[in-house]
Amino acid sequence: MSMLAPEQLAQSVQDLPSLPAVVMELLGSIEQENIDISVLAKKVSYDQALTAKTLRLANSSSYGLQVKVATIQQAITFLGFQTTRNLITAAAVTGCFPNGKCPGFNDKAFWRHSIATAVCARSLARRLRFNQDVAFTAGLLHDIGRLVLVTGHPLAYGEALAWRRRHDGEWLEAERAVLGIDHVDAGVALAEHWNFSDTMRQAIAFHHAPETPGAGFLAAIVHVANAVVHALDLAGEEDELVPALSSIAWDAMGLNEDAYLDLFRETEQQLEEMSAILMA
Amino acid sequence: MNGAYQLTPLAEATPGMVLGEVLRDGNGNVLLAQGAVLTEGMLASLARHGIDLLPILDAVRAEAPVDPALVQERLDRVFRKHERGNHGDWATGILRQYIEDFRLDREVGP
Repeated sequence: MSMLAPEQLAQSVQDLPSLPAVVMELLGSIEQENIDISVLAKKVSYDQALTAKTLRLANSSSYGLQVKVATIQQAITFLGFQTTRNLITAAAVTGCFPNGKCPGFNDKAFWRHSIATAVCARSLARRLRFNQDVAFTAGLLHDIGRLVLVTGHPLAYGEALAWRRRHDGEWLEAERAVLGIDHVDAGVALAEHWNFSDTMRQAIAFHHAPETPGAGFLAAIVHVANAVVHALDLAGEEDELVPALSSIAWDAMGLNEDAYLDLFRETEQQLEEMSAILMA
Repeated sequence: MNGAYQLTPLAEATPGMVLGEVLRDGNGNVLLAQGAVLTEGMLASLARHGIDLLPILDAVRAEAPVDPALVQERLDRVFRKHERGNHGDWATGILRQYIEDFRLDREVGP
């Protein structure tokens, strides 16, 4: 067993690769309306790789633009600031963790699951008239704590993966049994370090327990999107496992079967395009 | 998205199909981007623009035939922690039913 002390978790969060400063600024401001858009657009434009990836996302069919945008400023004009801000965040976060550090950890499956949950949460949010951009980012980041653990403690996490294979359990169980902490703790620690908004932090903290009083609607959306994506079996994990679905969260969606069948279709379609861009 | 595409008459195109190439009108103006997912509205508007052939992505047209027994087997594996008919776990049961309808292309009543 390789139990991790809280200080070790804090240290591994400190040691994480940092996001570009402008992305930190965007994450901290995700629910603010009164920030200077043109200054931010300019700052992002200095980072060419980030700009290129963001523009490819903006031009993907998921956003249905009839013209191709060529600059961040244009993306903001056509898609709006909120959406562009979320695309920038997605482009930055998916590129910031090193791959292949932990034996047995499937980075590709991790990102396919995260991206699929993001597009599924956004589609759910649209049907529920909830903020789609916030839902997308929360879906993308809900399991980010796993990457914190994998990056900071690759060998210990490898043991947790082996435990999970032996017991055919869920990630959460395996992490608690071997490390003493789980990816929810790690995700919350990162959310604080990266200065996420409270809503986003709540969604990460409660996506496995959406019935907790005060968990918030976003946590319920991410919870259902996560279960749907596991059930659609999209990540490419041989031992894929559907987690228990909270009946309270399911009820809160209030959608009928037709809506879900549409949601499944949309999630599959958008995953392929988005993952081709984000995982390039 | 650089898959092969097939030129398909507008009349045969249906919503949900994906464009495998950028679509231009006779003057070279871009009408739709590569990768655009067609909607009812787009098809109507293309007819007005005098488009009669669309470059439709092959992957979407030619869906591989699936063996329902294999699909069911895989679904049972993915849902292996959930017993059918467990009332305490009813939400997962409904999700399972919807996913089965989706994967096995079952007719869903109104």
